[in-house]
Amino acid sequence: MTLEAVQAGATPTGRGGVALAWRRFRRNPTAIGSALVLLLVVLACFPGAPLWVDVACHHGPAFQNINGYVTQNGHRVPVVANDGTPIGPGWRACYLLGADANGRDLMVRLLYGGRVSLEVGFASALVCVGLGLLIGMVSGYLGGFTDSILSRLMDLIWAFPVYLLAVALATSLALGGLAIGPLRVSSTSLAIPILVIAVVYVPYVARPIRGQVISLRRMEFVEAAVAQGAGPVRVMISELTPNVASMTLVMLTLIVANNILTEAALSFLGVGVPILTPSWGNIIQQGYNLIVTAPALTIAPGIAIMLTVVSLNVLGDALRDALDPHSKVRVKV
Amino acid sequence: MKTLSVILAGAALTLAAGCGGGSSSGGGSGANAGTPVNGGTLLAGIPSNPDHLDPGLTYTNEGWEIVEATNNGLLTFRKAAGGAGSVIVPDIATGLPAPTDGGLVYTFHLRSGVKFSPPVSRQVLPSDFKYSIQRLFKINSGGVGFYTGIVGANAFAAGNASQISGIVANDKAMTISFHLTQPDGTFLEDMALPFAFAMPKGTPYKDISTIPQWRIATGPYRVTDYVPGQKIVLARNPNFTSWTPNTPNGHLNAIDITVGVTPEQSVNETADGQLDWYFENPPPDRLPQLQRQYPNQVFTSATGEIEYFSMNERLYPFNKLAVRQAVNYATDRHALLKLEGGQGSITENIIPPTFGTAYVKHDFYPYDPAKAKALIKSAGVEGARVAVWSLNTDPYPNLAQYMASVLNGIGLNATVKIVDASVYWDLISTEKNDPQIAYNNWSQDFPEGEDFIDVLLNGQNIVNVGNNNQSNADVPAYDKLIDQAKRMPLGNARNAIWARLDAGYSKTNAPWVVFMNAARIKYVSARLHGLVFNPTYYDLFPSMWLSK
Repeated sequence: MTLEAVQAGATPTGRGGVALAWRRFRRNPTAIGSALVLLLVVLACFPGAPLWVDVACHHGPAFQNINGYVTQNGHRVPVVANDGTPIGPGWRACYLLGADANGRDLMVRLLYGGRVSLEVGFASALVCVGLGLLIGMVSGYLGGFTDSILSRLMDLIWAFPVYLLAVALATSLALGGLAIGPLRVSSTSLAIPILVIAVVYVPYVARPIRGQVISLRRMEFVEAAVAQGAGPVRVMISELTPNVASMTLVMLTLIVANNILTEAALSFLGVGVPILTPSWGNIIQQGYNLIVTAPALTIAPGIAIMLTVVSLNVLGDALRDALDPHSKVRVKV
Repeated sequence: MKTLSVILAGAALTLAAGCGGGSSSGGGSGANAGTPVNGGTLLAGIPSNPDHLDPGLTYTNEGWEIVEATNNGLLTFRKAAGGAGSVIVPDIATGLPAPTDGGLVYTFHLRSGVKFSPPVSRQVLPSDFKYSIQRLFKINSGGVGFYTGIVGANAFAAGNASQISGIVANDKAMTISFHLTQPDGTFLEDMALPFAFAMPKGTPYKDISTIPQWRIATGPYRVTDYVPGQKIVLARNPNFTSWTPNTPNGHLNAIDITVGVTPEQSVNETADGQLDWYFENPPPDRLPQLQRQYPNQVFTSATGEIEYFSMNERLYPFNKLAVRQAVNYATDRHALLKLEGGQGSITENIIPPTFGTAYVKHDFYPYDPAKAKALIKSAGVEGARVAVWSLNTDPYPNLAQYMASVLNGIGLNATVKIVDASVYWDLISTEKNDPQIAYNNWSQDFPEGEDFIDVLLNGQNIVNVGNNNQSNADVPAYDKLIDQAKRMPLGNARNAIWARLDAGYSKTNAPWVVFMNAARIKYVSARLHGLVFNPTYYDLFPSMWLSK
């Protein structure tokens, strides 16, 4: 709205919070770039993976072709040599990035593995942030005994080095799976790494939210709601949650990046995603022993992880700047 | 049970104690050429601690390599490679005893002048051998099973006797007699195992690996320093004088073994001249390059070891013979060999090809996925859920994944369960955890069919904990045949029964998918010579020498 229009009596209309955030976000070229990279990765992994299989190589990520051959420069070349060395990258539809020791197409596994890594990263981040939000909210708002118990529980989890705790949890669930009452989760289910990764990072979400809620609970709008008869649940849902939403959203993006790295690390250590399911971490783990003769097996998923994590981190920072320019939220793990 | 050593072997290949047959090959002008030179310190490396340095307790290949250089028994396997190394010869005994009393009594005469190392420094006596075998029962040695056939051994083990009555030692006459409860064709082999090596009377009833004053040697070397997880140092035994060619003097002054060297590290350090010898095979992906670059420093030996997947005959769906046969038909053994870096040869036999006439090659299961699918269909188990177990060291997870793909391909629903190597063997040999199908391997304790067929498949040997018969195979007719063979003297007639059982189990019971005999591959320094791979004791340190 121009100054002339205001002087002519027009009523100025304010921009909403979301519109302002979007304006700040799109003025950040790094943020746009990282969002595009992330979008590309997601597109490549989700619609791209089956498309690549249908169009290019016609076999899935589990297809093992140890004794198979491919044609390269007019010659028949074994997918896996007699000494166990798999074929390397080359310009061909199948085995574009080469094969792994079991004769599986690395390109196909990279795309399908990306699906799993992203799913585990996002799902565990949602569970983690959900639990962290709940615990932080209840702890911060109710205070007193409840706060003491929940805070000590968070301290207990926080006291363990993240990877040590994750490895311990994952290893203990590796044989028998999870059984809590009627709830049964198989040891080969993706739910196991999702839950393990989510649990170990809960304190990193719950603590900042608790702090934010403690500073919010004495504010006038909360006291007004209480004065109008709102109970604790209603206050938490209607009054407090919207006020920590931007902080939670920023945390979510940063936790997703962190969880993708954790999945890769746990899978590399053999306690993450079940071995038959391709994930970026699993691919690196299975290629590590061939790093001299088949470096693509570790480099390709490594690059995929790096691109995804960097773009998520940049995106998270940009979101924070856009949603709450004065925020000091950082996820440090 | 030498599987433990294979666990510890980790990354490269299973390093079984291979029996004779194939002698070392490769190396052209390398390791065994030239006139031996005395002196020098061998720079050796192993990936992890041996289980023990106590001859009565150690049951790993690393441990046996060391105690072979430090201690002696009444008998020994000839200190040679290949088939010659599977022959029993006298060591501290003056000769091989002929069994008497219908094969129930063996009497050994001991050499005079064989001395223990300081601080004991006295002659080895028959009563020391009696003490050493009795000690096995007091320290819960894994080797007691070899000696329970001695009269009075079980009563001694149960605490009902103060000594094993069936061992009669006469220190004046320098004789020792062993009275057996029944004829045992492998008794002489048992006496050549490290469990029966001489320890001086008074050796504590506990692991003496870290008690320097009780690490008493009789051989050319003694352990002078042992820091678990860091190093083992062997130096010359000042009381040792060679008494037969079966007990060589040794050329090296000392052997410095660094603990914790990884296979990858070993290759780099050997190339840089920082390491002469390493316990394990080089990593499979480095091998082609090493063979090209250092053809005179890479050696291959056949072993008495098999690798296989055991299928549990008590658990669905492997309780059906058709399913076990189907898995055999559906497995492409060449693919599994590739996953092992091509370091071995494919086989279907239970008995290794290095076991003389006990090995008769059979080929009951040519690769035939269509037949396998038909068998699964006829057994009515399509879609059955199956977990393939494997340990977590390379390349075993890849083998398990291949097996899972085989099972999925024939209509089962397979997952893979990877378990840390440190607990894997204990877990799969405990009935509570009984896996449906699991990666397995077995390396010979001594080169005889009994060590495979009886130990691994005799239904009478099934136990709840520490079960070697992991398929729970239990065929009474075969059990009887095993008992019959065990009572026979060594030789072709006995071997014929093992060969018959090998074929019988494979064809009519199919408890395993046997796929490979592993090879032993060594990459050594240019200055190391005299590499001799003995089927039982592995690389013989006393044979090694270093060029100037």
